[in-house]
Amino acid sequence: MTDPFTLAMVLILALAIAGLPVGLAMMCGSFLYLISAGFDPSLATETLLQGIFNSYTLLAIPLFVLAADLMNVGSLADRLLRFCQALVGRFRGGLGYVNVVSSVIFSGMSGSAVADAVGMGKIVITMMTRNGQYTPSYAAALTAATATIGPIIPPSIPMVLYALVSDQSVGYLFAAGLAPGLLMALLMAGMNFMLAKKHDFPVDEAIPLSQFPAITANAFPALMLPVILLGGIYGGIVTPTEAAALAAAYALSVSVLLYRSVSFAQFWETLKTGARSSGSIGVLIAGSLTFNYVVTRENIPNVLADFLTDMDLSRTGFLIAVNLLVLLLGCVLEGGAILLIVAPLLIPAAQAVGVDLVQFGVIMVVNAMLGLITPPYGLLLFIVASITRQPMGAVVRDIWPFILVLLGALAIITFVPDFVLFLPRQLGYNG
Amino acid sequence: MHKLRTLLKKLAGAAEHISALLLGSMFAVFILQIVFRYFLDLPVGWTVEWVTLAWLWGILFSFAFVIRAEDMIRLDIVYSSVPVPVRRALDVFSGLSCAGIFLWTLPDAWGYVEFMQIERTAYLRLPYNWVFAIYIPFHIAVIIRMLLVAWSGLRGPAEPTIETPNTTATLEATRHD
Repeated sequence: MTDPFTLAMVLILALAIAGLPVGLAMMCGSFLYLISAGFDPSLATETLLQGIFNSYTLLAIPLFVLAADLMNVGSLADRLLRFCQALVGRFRGGLGYVNVVSSVIFSGMSGSAVADAVGMGKIVITMMTRNGQYTPSYAAALTAATATIGPIIPPSIPMVLYALVSDQSVGYLFAAGLAPGLLMALLMAGMNFMLAKKHDFPVDEAIPLSQFPAITANAFPALMLPVILLGGIYGGIVTPTEAAALAAAYALSVSVLLYRSVSFAQFWETLKTGARSSGSIGVLIAGSLTFNYVVTRENIPNVLADFLTDMDLSRTGFLIAVNLLVLLLGCVLEGGAILLIVAPLLIPAAQAVGVDLVQFGVIMVVNAMLGLITPPYGLLLFIVASITRQPMGAVVRDIWPFILVLLGALAIITFVPDFVLFLPRQLGYNG
Repeated sequence: MHKLRTLLKKLAGAAEHISALLLGSMFAVFILQIVFRYFLDLPVGWTVEWVTLAWLWGILFSFAFVIRAEDMIRLDIVYSSVPVPVRRALDVFSGLSCAGIFLWTLPDAWGYVEFMQIERTAYLRLPYNWVFAIYIPFHIAVIIRMLLVAWSGLRGPAEPTIETPNTTATLEATRHD
């Protein structure tokens, strides 16, 4: 127990379990490590300050948070839903498809699953449960499940976090998420189809085709946002970080100038909320920066990589082990923490067994998102349960079919690298 | 006492405006940067420095003065499932440990920030001890806040200090996932 690293680990775990904010727990552990190893504790302060001041990429995070908030405040979400309803609402279980399709489109604008669930998700849940057409627990479960697509389809805040710890290009990571995200959506739509048949879900009145052009025109500025974002990034016009600022600016100008739905007071409130979220995620990042310094100093990733090499684990064996490990951790840890703390430990090992690091990023992020909907610690489950005022148990019961299909998607993402890497390679990725 | 409370409320409100201003300025300067680089073909370096400065100050300032305890990202799976007396014991343990470690490291942290006056940033030519100055209030605020957590654990608050993730405040704070 006198080994400083073990001491630090024990303290971090104890403090985190005792309810201290995770970022502060990691800072405490790092300080304790430095003190007990006889180093200058200000090394942690230096790592924290220099790390945040020099990580330009991370700025995408507050800006994507701001963009998503502005879209929710500025009625872009409502207009998009109306469009989705006109598009796929006419089938049996139609609002289920609306839920899936709207998540796909919204995820092309926001990088956050939680933003998706609290914004778009909230409205779609109201629509689904309005006339008792769907059970609140089904609406809640489907909304939580489809929200996981948010950070898989670019842009994506978790991918930015992974890019930070893995030194991979944000642009290639974003591109690698597109096909997996669409696959997840397709599988969930398929599951909705099966459940709609089984439970005889209602068929909504179809919106007449004559109204379709008007509804599309109304949603058009919102629909253009993913095009502008991805076009900007892959056309080499803006960096992914600048794209986040552009997204926020676009959402703001469309809401103010075109839809006239955001006042200055509302904008200011959005900034305040955004600043609060940035502060709380920022301290988590700060804590993980100091802890990563300790981990690197102790050479942990290489020790782990050597250990795995000695075990002679195959590529497949390694990937299965990683998936199981991260899925399990996802039941108790928050997604950002997994990407910032666990991913750096596994990256050298992944490299050693020949896993492509961009693909590995997608695997990690999909795993982390699955963690958001698996009990007992699924943040998205808490959110949808509180929106619908349903007991967790009911939501969990209805979400299992969707967890199952998402695990299927995860298997494809894990074992068919070409499926993930095709698009990044088209854009010039050598991997 | 009443006056003090009003004053604290006012200060908290002001702090919230400052944090919004920092995020707003980051946003505005980013747009400026895009306009300068791609539309006017005039690449400028100071914008990059300003936005990272606003990000650093935004995080540490908000955490120190704006964010409520329930907004912070924590692992409350155990905490929220134990009875109140155990929670109070956990509060005392985590509050005192964290405050103690931060108090112990304060002089070194202070020393580092002060030492950085020898360097200046590349574009705005700001001395680094100014750039990093916000760290000290953050560090001290952590000590005070954690002592308060331990104190409320000892004294026994009317309500638990930390809400479970079912509260909307937690949801708002964790929008990054």
